[in-house]
Amino acid sequence: MRILAAALACLAASPALASEEGNRIQVTGELIDTWCYYSGVMGGPDAVVGSAHHTCALWCSAGGIPVGLLGDDGTTYMVLKIDQDDNLAGGDTALRLASHTIEADGMHYERDGINYLVVDQVISDLDITNLNHEDYGPVPGFAIPKSARK
Amino acid sequence: MMRTALFCAALFTTTSAGATSLPLPFDVGGDFELTDQHGNPRTQIDPEGNGQLLFFGYALCPGICSSAMPMIADSVDALKDAGIGVTPVMITIDPDRDKVGDMNAPLEKYHPDFVGLTGSETALQVAYDAYSVEKELAYVDPEYGPVYSHGSFVYLLDAEGNVLTLFPPILSSERVVELAEKYLSDE
Repeated sequence: MRILAAALACLAASPALASEEGNRIQVTGELIDTWCYYSGVMGGPDAVVGSAHHTCALWCSAGGIPVGLLGDDGTTYMVLKIDQDDNLAGGDTALRLASHTIEADGMHYERDGINYLVVDQVISDLDITNLNHEDYGPVPGFAIPKSARK
Repeated sequence: MMRTALFCAALFTTTSAGATSLPLPFDVGGDFELTDQHGNPRTQIDPEGNGQLLFFGYALCPGICSSAMPMIADSVDALKDAGIGVTPVMITIDPDRDKVGDMNAPLEKYHPDFVGLTGSETALQVAYDAYSVEKELAYVDPEYGPVYSHGSFVYLLDAEGNVLTLFPPILSSERVVELAEKYLSDE
């Protein structure tokens, strides 16, 4: 149910604002690993964000999974570009900002019911603000190499 | 595991907005001249007159490709059942390993019709630039060898190679089929 709620939140685009031409918006939210967030295989949506999922998010981004921006209002945007980083996944900026809460300015496009965001500027980088590893530990645990585990 | 995880991405099917024939609002796509896995030249135009599902990856990719390409293959089969011919196409981001004669076996495991395209760095860069795809060596896996990070969106092209829309690789094949049918039925 929580996964369903998260997915529905993702689809809660703002129809009045969305258009094929795009709209400039500012979004504050967390850069997330879209695969684990939507698949549910690594845990519920509350566990696959924040510090708990940071290591896995890095692996997924490096492996080509597109990053998303989970807005404070629950809307999720598929990020097409961040700043000057043309790479749609796994770019330096995407890796540096994985799991961080950022304030982004960019163009929002809605197509086929999916929100896309071209981030022109990261106005502020608030670092990782969701310290949920205290609740969940690393999610999944195997994202942490054995040699690095305490 | 990644493939089986697509069940939740299928939730994207409950969208309110349908497909549209409007052009993409951002600039993506263009011409390219590459070589398929059999050594035949191929451009953005499908010689069979089919629609195309285009992905940038590499045949031995253990990451997102191993999920996206089966999704593409399943979509192609479902669209064929619906009477819509679509060719699955992968443009390599690893030309050192994806060479003519080397790509066919791994691609056939995904789908017998998968077209793998390679070429010179210059020729490939034309395609990368057209689709804003960058690649970067992420690490060298002892089992899989070089692992690259790379753009992973899937593009729906018409037979002439025009981009009709794009799909995040986390979508289910059911949703991709649903959308592709609407776009390609307008062609």
